[in-house]
Amino acid sequence: MTSSKKTIKAARYGMTIDIDRCNGCGACMVACAVENNIPPVPQGGDRKGLTWIRVYKVDNGAQGADRRSAFVPMLCQQCGNEAPCAHVCPQNAVEIDPATGIVGQMPERCLGCRYCMAACPYHARYYNWWDPAWPAGMERTLNPDVAPRMRGVVEKCNFCHARWHAAREQAAADGKPDTEPVNYVPACAEACPTHAIRFVDLNQTSVEGFRMLEKLGTEPKIFYQSKRDWVRQIAEAPRPTANGSKQGKEASRG
Amino acid sequence: MTTTRRNLFKLAGGAAAGSLLTPAPWRLITDTALLSENWPGVPRPKRGEVSYRFGNCALCTAGCAVRARCVAGQPVALAGVEAHPLSRGALCTYGIAGHHLPYHPARLRQGPVAEASAAVQSAIRTLRPNEHCAVLDLRPGRTASWTYRRAMASVRNGMYLASESNTAVDLASAKTVLSLGVPVLDGWGTPGNVWALRGGFHLIQAEPVESRTAVMADLWLPIRAGSEAALLDAVRGGSASDAAAQTGLSEQQIASLARELRENGPSLVLDRNGASPMIARREAPVPEEWKKAVPATQLASVSEESIRVLLIDESMPGEYLPWSAIQPKLTSDCVVVSFAWSKEGYGRQARFTLPAAVYPEVVDDIPPAIDSPAAMFRLAAALVAPPEGMVSPTGFIAGLAGIDAKNALQERVAAIQKSGRGSVFDPSGAAKPADLWKALQAGATWIDDREPRASVISTQIASPLADDKNRSSAPLAIAFSEPRAAALVSPLMSKVTNESGLRLGTHGVAIHPSDARGAGLAEGSRARLETASGFVTVDISVDDTVPPGVIQVGGGPDLQNVCGANRRGRVVAL
Repeated sequence: MTSSKKTIKAARYGMTIDIDRCNGCGACMVACAVENNIPPVPQGGDRKGLTWIRVYKVDNGAQGADRRSAFVPMLCQQCGNEAPCAHVCPQNAVEIDPATGIVGQMPERCLGCRYCMAACPYHARYYNWWDPAWPAGMERTLNPDVAPRMRGVVEKCNFCHARWHAAREQAAADGKPDTEPVNYVPACAEACPTHAIRFVDLNQTSVEGFRMLEKLGTEPKIFYQSKRDWVRQIAEAPRPTANGSKQGKEASRG
Repeated sequence: MTTTRRNLFKLAGGAAAGSLLTPAPWRLITDTALLSENWPGVPRPKRGEVSYRFGNCALCTAGCAVRARCVAGQPVALAGVEAHPLSRGALCTYGIAGHHLPYHPARLRQGPVAEASAAVQSAIRTLRPNEHCAVLDLRPGRTASWTYRRAMASVRNGMYLASESNTAVDLASAKTVLSLGVPVLDGWGTPGNVWALRGGFHLIQAEPVESRTAVMADLWLPIRAGSEAALLDAVRGGSASDAAAQTGLSEQQIASLARELRENGPSLVLDRNGASPMIARREAPVPEEWKKAVPATQLASVSEESIRVLLIDESMPGEYLPWSAIQPKLTSDCVVVSFAWSKEGYGRQARFTLPAAVYPEVVDDIPPAIDSPAAMFRLAAALVAPPEGMVSPTGFIAGLAGIDAKNALQERVAAIQKSGRGSVFDPSGAAKPADLWKALQAGATWIDDREPRASVISTQIASPLADDKNRSSAPLAIAFSEPRAAALVSPLMSKVTNESGLRLGTHGVAIHPSDARGAGLAEGSRARLETASGFVTVDISVDDTVPPGVIQVGGGPDLQNVCGANRRGRVVAL
């Protein structure tokens, strides 16, 4: 009997987000919710709902006519080193896929302790307070490739992992070797009408830009780009807010 | 050793404590989590064969090309079509979730069809000589619009009310664009086309609030609300000092703006009422026999109390005329019938509101957008079947006039093919499809040849609004934040309205904290927004990026109705 060893060429998926091209339209947020079966906020509920990607409006801190704003899409930063959420999870519900570098969240293992939410420096994780519910009949529009999550678990962006699986299946059907990385695009990058969000394999493409809270050493795989100094400085802030002036709300409109 | 009660307790306690060191209880917890995954409260997505269908989005005149991913025939996701020459793969926030509209809880599902039909026919029979039966078309330029015009030619004193639809702007040739509060980079025109041309023009955005377009513009001029006309007058040679006093800009800024528009031309000025210059756009061909139709009439030119029957087609989203402008034209016994998706909009004022099929349930053509100098013809495909009880506005109105319009779309396509004009973009890759009707149903777009010398039309822009005549004393100046009025939006739009506060909802308004304090309002309060046209209940958002004295309003039909023709309003706590 002979054994053959396959050498898998791992991908390291990441994103570049050009803040200077983001007009804050929110298409990425809606496309993400459509793709990943994220329910709308319950009628009459005043809670903040689930948004695997959320666009924040930030400003330069000036007042009146000197105030300038920018829109910053925030999602799981897919930490490439010492992901804090993976470290603290008592259930091993957070796993980093060595083939893709994607930080995955497995709701069936999650106990809902929310340690990961407390540990995430990017506030990119959301707790499912209620069973997912859609208006009557709208369940027909759910994506069959993604299972809706039950209440009591934490959710987050997984770079549309179902699309990655579909791309793998397609590659296998096309006779391509399963050791090669596959090309696919997450829903937010596909939907962005200004092409501000681009999805790349960092092993194959060199990218430039700054990363959020780089000093923590988590090696995020989301690279932001901007020509404006004050925008680049937000990467050092604990969390982008509308100048801290928006009490009770995490973002303001465009 | 005797068995005592104490020992039994010790044994039970030790067993309980010891079991924590075994995998059993932890496994139990995990299994409970697995069990909860299949609770009845968690819906299971339908499975089936995956297919893709092409069409065009009908939510606005941009008509962006759409690729629908369908599972067992049901669309589950919409995406743009990258190769489309105008929409270029872009779909806006509303369009991405358009396939949810058939399931909106606020959707109308039944209406008094027989009663409405009887009342309209009775009123038409008893029309007095100076009274009219009118159709108000919120989206002119469609084949349905021609059906209405033909029908009104056959009805005694028939009238077709619509705004101008055969004009466009030539954004591709513009070097400088001055936008007076128009959301140029946030849904105006065809978003994909505007972004593709973005590098070719210098965008100057003049508006009081730093909107999404202002954020992305080359220059944002934070003018005072309502001072657009003064700014425009100054850049056209009027007094810079007067404009400076009204707009809050410096005279140097105004002089610099005027110089840029003059020297870095061709320049284009856009405002919410139109643009300058605009060019005439010829329409897609229609059959010769259709041309015995009534022309379009502007509502303003209609005599007061002269409309006895008003049929409003709001089955496709368009520009809402304020009810305060319509009402004076109606007789006291006027029969108003609205064909609508929901009770928003004219449904509140109409005597009969009949349910119409929503996008994407019905095949309808989409008129070209304002940034398309050439005519286009494309169809919104019916991706799902409408429920029972939906009323076709064209069928209803054609039936009143006794004309057959069932095959109007095919007849129009035959006329287009016969004309020999234009080219076809087919998402399947066919260069020149033999059967144009079939290709259009499969998502193709017919694009007319552009006229080499399209006539330039002078359009009045920055026109005074209704409450200017009354010198309204209301304290807040109105600024719009959303690109269009939508009667229904996907429930998932809550992601960008309720959950992130990125956009204002259909009843959302934002005011500065000082104005909120003055009116006794707080974040999340409900209030009444009053203008010279009426009032509407709104949800308050307190936002210090909105200047004091300004109220930024969302894009629902009710807000358009109350604010569309007004510059000032007030909010009153409920």
